[in-house]
Amino acid sequence: MARITVHLWSGLRRLTDGDLESVEVDASTVGEALVAVAAQHPGLEPVLAAGVSVVIDGEVSTSRRQVIQPGSEVYLMQRLKGG
Amino acid sequence: MRYHSPTDFASASALAAGASGVTRFLSGGTDVLVQMRAGMVLPDDLIDLKKIPGVSDITQTAGGGWRIGVAVPGIVLGAHEGLKADWPGVVEGMNLVGSTQVQGRATLTGNLCNGSPAADSVPGLVAAGAVVEITGPTGVRTVAVEAIPAGPGKTTLAKGELISAIVLPARGDNAGDAYLRFIPRTEMDIAVVGCAVSLRLSGDTITEARVALGAVAPTVLLVSAAADAIIGTTLDDAALDALAAAASAAANPITDKRGTKEFRVEIAGVLAKRAAKIAFARAKGETA
Amino acid sequence: MAKDGFETLKLVGTRPNRPDGLDKVTGRARYGADFSLPGMLWGAVVRSPHAHARIVKIDATKAEALDGVKAVITRADFPTGLTGEDWNLQENTMAGEKALYDGHAVAAVAATSKLLAEQAARLIEVTYEVLPHVIDVDAAMAEGAPVIRAGAADATVPEGLHPNVVRYMEFGRGDVDAGFAEADLVMERTYKTEATHQGYIEPHACVSKMGADGKGEMWVCTQGHWYIRKMSAAVLGIEASQLRVTPTEIGGGFGGKTTIFMEPLSLALSKKAGGRPVKIVMSRSEVLRATGPTASASMDVKIGMTKDGKITAARAEFRMQGGAFPGAPVDMALYCCFAGYKLANVHHVGYDVLANRPKCAAYRAPGSPNGAFAVESLVDEMCRKLGLDPVEVRLKNGVTTGDRASYGPKFGSIGLTEVLEAVKAHPQLQAPLGENQGRGFAVGYWFNHNGETSVSMAIGEDGTAQVSVGTPDIGGSRASIALMVAETLGIPYEDVGVNVVETGALGVNEPTHGSRATFASGKAAVEATQAAIKEMCRRAAAEWDIDDEAVEWVNGAAQPAGPNAGKFPPMSIKEIAGKMGQTGGPISGHHESVPDGVGASFGAHVVDLEVDPETGRVTILRYLVVQDAGRAIHPSYVEGQYQGGAAQGIGWALNEEYVYDDKGRLSNTVFLDYRVPVASDLPMIDTVIVEVPNPGHPFGVRGVGETGITPPLPAIANAIHDAVGVRMTHLPINPPKLLAALKAR
Ligand SMILES: Cc1cc2nc3c(=O)[nH]c(=O)nc-3n(C[C@H](O)[C@H](O)[C@H](O)COP(=O)(O)OP(=O)(O)OC[C@H]3O[C@@H](n4cnc5c(N)ncnc54)[C@H](O)[C@@H]3O)c2cc1C
Repeated sequence: MARITVHLWSGLRRLTDGDLESVEVDASTVGEALVAVAAQHPGLEPVLAAGVSVVIDGEVSTSRRQVIQPGSEVYLMQRLKGG
Repeated sequence: MRYHSPTDFASASALAAGASGVTRFLSGGTDVLVQMRAGMVLPDDLIDLKKIPGVSDITQTAGGGWRIGVAVPGIVLGAHEGLKADWPGVVEGMNLVGSTQVQGRATLTGNLCNGSPAADSVPGLVAAGAVVEITGPTGVRTVAVEAIPAGPGKTTLAKGELISAIVLPARGDNAGDAYLRFIPRTEMDIAVVGCAVSLRLSGDTITEARVALGAVAPTVLLVSAAADAIIGTTLDDAALDALAAAASAAANPITDKRGTKEFRVEIAGVLAKRAAKIAFARAKGETA
Repeated sequence: MAKDGFETLKLVGTRPNRPDGLDKVTGRARYGADFSLPGMLWGAVVRSPHAHARIVKIDATKAEALDGVKAVITRADFPTGLTGEDWNLQENTMAGEKALYDGHAVAAVAATSKLLAEQAARLIEVTYEVLPHVIDVDAAMAEGAPVIRAGAADATVPEGLHPNVVRYMEFGRGDVDAGFAEADLVMERTYKTEATHQGYIEPHACVSKMGADGKGEMWVCTQGHWYIRKMSAAVLGIEASQLRVTPTEIGGGFGGKTTIFMEPLSLALSKKAGGRPVKIVMSRSEVLRATGPTASASMDVKIGMTKDGKITAARAEFRMQGGAFPGAPVDMALYCCFAGYKLANVHHVGYDVLANRPKCAAYRAPGSPNGAFAVESLVDEMCRKLGLDPVEVRLKNGVTTGDRASYGPKFGSIGLTEVLEAVKAHPQLQAPLGENQGRGFAVGYWFNHNGETSVSMAIGEDGTAQVSVGTPDIGGSRASIALMVAETLGIPYEDVGVNVVETGALGVNEPTHGSRATFASGKAAVEATQAAIKEMCRRAAAEWDIDDEAVEWVNGAAQPAGPNAGKFPPMSIKEIAGKMGQTGGPISGHHESVPDGVGASFGAHVVDLEVDPETGRVTILRYLVVQDAGRAIHPSYVEGQYQGGAAQGIGWALNEEYVYDDKGRLSNTVFLDYRVPVASDLPMIDTVIVEVPNPGHPFGVRGVGETGITPPLPAIANAIHDAVGVRMTHLPINPPKLLAALKAR
């Protein structure tokens, strides 16, 4: 398990405890990271539950089991799809 | 719904006179059938006119004019060399209606009697001085085309009356007509403004003119002030400006989904100028 | 333009006839409305004539008394207790307490003929209490605007905003104020775009049956039959696996057929009518009033630029309404609007707002065209002010592989620079322009998408291959997938058949959306083919009695891998297939995943046009689309996507819009008045396919379906400015608007 920085979109700051731009969690997979973020900041829970895209090193993650390498860049974005 | 297919106009008139509910005549059906499918008009009696002998014919009148049957579709008008040579503006108005498919059915009479202020063939007929022959319970009468429309979706035809032919006068020499409509696209659209000009020249001077506007009032407008603005002129810039001003002044449009009031007023003038130039060139024998 | 190891390809990149072509041009293809079943009933829907009204009473007595009427349903026939998007879908399918827009379904009826069903629908008496309504996005979030649904806002919305604001977002980086301070020119403008419709030619149509046991079947024109299944099941409270959905041929979707409208109604009617099949075919005006048009937008953009064209800071604040439900693509609009620019200081704010309009659906790159209109218009205006070349300014600020996107993460492989260089090299930039003529340029972006994907393929006894995909073919994907599979197998294109199969035949597939079919189903089809090849190599190895690993697949045959593996003549796919019964049975391959490696696509458009200064009418003279396809599997379909995107964008820019009357009723409900461009409106649209291969796809594919609609809106506005010097900030730029602007000049 590694220390990972999860970048939030700034509209979510208000929902964190302490107006944070990013959240530090210990996680090795996407699923673990999301659970850990919600545990630290229950205000984010409904947003995460409604569905977000997790972008790791520029690529939208395709699975909650996807491994996050230490040092990877992790961004939360509104869920993406298309027409 | 009762479907009738009489074989003469008197019976068609009698059927209509005797009907009690919603009645429609069926010519090309490109308005009636569309309205039925949309549930806008659900006729109790539908009287098909296409079985009446002669309704699909275009014939020359004794005086050199043209008598056009009520079921002659646009595509047949467009292919009639004699008619096109005499009244290119009337024919181009009708030929703007719809698409190739619609042209195969749509008629001048239907276009007129559907009562749309934007009907594309009507300004051309009015500028040409065309008349309609009406068959009714009391016999046959003839009136000017501009006397038929009575407002959106309405005509002045009485119960039991129907049009049995449209008659264009003889064209005569040194004359030309033209119709232009404004649409934002190139086809398959309804006129935001339409304008027809018919005129006669003596040398380069306009001696007779009729200017008609469509889609800028509840009915087609025959604008004598616009005609007066160019009669006696050589269609110089001052005459064109006066024509545009008169056309714009006569326009009394509304704002709707197809265009604003201000826009229609302005465009009435622009189209009047452009149509007059084409009619003028045609009168000079140029094939524009 | 083959690059990077694709030189040996034989089929990928060629232009064979499409497999569905003959049926389509001869009228034999079976679209949604072509399907019928014995004993079938027809359904018709009663729709609200009001933009916002409480439903006081629905009286179906007269309709039910008609001979031949077999079922009437209202919301009372649907399960209760749904939440979130499931509730939204149910509410949109059939109004509950209130009708929320003109055209909102309030009841439906099934009868023995279409005419009878329509007559019965007219006889259903609905009593409404008309409520104040709101249509415009800015009006909808202003103080005093009628509240469409209290409590609809989610957790992201800060206190103090109007209840019609249901989602709020804010993101960015750097210090925009400091960035603006560094600029030589800072400009700020507000832009508006109006709602448009996808304008697919084929209206929605379906035939459904559902028995008392809750088992259902449906044939429907859709971009995604698993979505139809999932959503219908949720709305009706049935189990997804009890419903089998078969897609028909589809006459266009563009995102609009990725969700449900009347499909659950036909199922519910069928169930109530004792299981008789029920067919519903929408009319054009139902499609325009009551399916899923785009959002409309009101957008503020502020940009700072130095004298030499460097963008120092950028800010966007977008307000979008997507109808009476959450879901306007304001997030996508914000993500895409600055995506082409390398920015240290950037800030985005977005509001998703309710209004009394139909629930928006996806439409080609949802949100991106709106955002592009605002940003690319302003960048163009600033380039002109500073006397800079607009293409050079894009190059100077343009993102390249590895750069950080304006919306946060880093870009993988992208081809914006290559696209811009191709624009510069194109002769259209040198074509002379006359009076009242102008040239406009703009850039656009779309992420592209992967999604759940499941594909199977099987080798026939004769050595041909049949592929089963779950992504309906809306742009030639069957041809492209056949090319990729044939290339992989080393057999002729004609020997591969691709079918779009029903929900019972594969794992879950997301719809054909997000430009994903050729990317995702294509990638999965290649993986499935590799699995089948592996099996064929195993069969050959067993025959030759050598190791599986000692066999390789070359040119449609198994052969020993190198001289040490053994000396055997190649064993062709036909030989292997012909003996499959004796060597272990059927040979097939399967793959399912959410494929990674999505490649984003940038495009740039150049339009030359002429303005009639007396009427404000715009004529498109020349049009150029340059876009990165990664790799064009079937270039004709890539070109078709580019041209289609441009055509739809031209319509959006010039004439298309939802026009509402003062009662909030849609007034242009037919194609005569909803003005999509007709063929004679447009010149041949020129295309340049740039190929910067996507490393995430075996053949380098990027999605190409959506990016093409993103640059036309600003490109046209920019060209109009070039032609006549007026800056149009509110779409559509129709003749009345442009003439008024010309007169005000
Ligand atoms: C796709 C499409 C595009 C169109 N585009 C245009 C266009 O560009 N411009 C335009 O002007 N119109 C357009 N129209 C409308 C229509 O095609 C025209 O108005 C056409 O000329 C109607 O002629 P018809 O013979 O089809 O009329 P019908 O539908 O047969 O009849 C129309 C009306 O006239 C009445 N009527 C018919 N014959 C008689 C008669 N002898 N005496 C009294 N009343 C009679 C009928 O009762 C009915 O009310 C379009 C229609 C469609 C479907």
